[in-house]
Amino acid sequence: MRLLIVDDSNMIRSRISRVVQNGGLPNISLVGLARNGAEAIRIARSTKPEVITMDLTMPEMDGVECIGQMLKLFPKVNILVVSALSDKSTAIAALKLGARGFVAKPFSDDELKMALLDVMEVR
Amino acid sequence: MDALQQGELKLFVDSVRRYFEVVTRQEPQITSAFLATTDLDGYDYNGIVTFSGSYNGHVIVSMPPQLLRELLLLQGETDLSEGNLLDAVGEIANTLGGNARKTLGSSLQISVPVKLHGSAGITARVRKHPYVITLKWNHQPAMVCVDMSRRS
Repeated sequence: MRLLIVDDSNMIRSRISRVVQNGGLPNISLVGLARNGAEAIRIARSTKPEVITMDLTMPEMDGVECIGQMLKLFPKVNILVVSALSDKSTAIAALKLGARGFVAKPFSDDELKMALLDVMEVR
Repeated sequence: MDALQQGELKLFVDSVRRYFEVVTRQEPQITSAFLATTDLDGYDYNGIVTFSGSYNGHVIVSMPPQLLRELLLLQGETDLSEGNLLDAVGEIANTLGGNARKTLGSSLQISVPVKLHGSAGITARVRKHPYVITLKWNHQPAMVCVDMSRRS
């Protein structure tokens, strides 16, 4: 599955990349890294990701707006929200928007892996 | 504006502890927590998240470069440039700010983090006495300053 990572933090983008590439996740290849929602949309148009990890608080275009636009472009894309906004209502709102899963920051490598596997199995 | 209650301020202690425990598996030592009475001497790398909505103010995470380098190395990161250290401290501030919503509610809005290099000092802007948490992680010092109030 083609993975796009969207987060304004390079530390987070790098970390998720390493977890995916070193973590033994089956059949997943990284196709792009985006620093905000607008960049994510641009990259997605050419790479057509099947899985996206999405931060919510980002400059230019935040995760909420990006999720909405991304699902219009790619209705079947599996979006895993990865956010520091760890209150329940944010997680519920993200799922109502169409995200398939939610991981709160800070997260361990195992938490991220499990969440990605869960999201990849939901179609 | 109303002052924060003790429990509300404690959430930042719990949050910074949790950050290091989860990300590094090395628990930090909280060395003190107090109300500042003067401007504070910070460290070289500062991440600031501004609050709005139901609260007003900001949280500042201030850390020396060595701590941030070790934090990045532990995560397998090889880019230890100034830009990446700034990014890291900003992300820590983002995490503490975002996690505050769990206790303070979803009406708390947080900004994208601002990152500043330079130990210019920390001046209170909202509270007369901001809440300061000092800690040590992997023998390195750091500070979190909570300068916020609830909107009446």
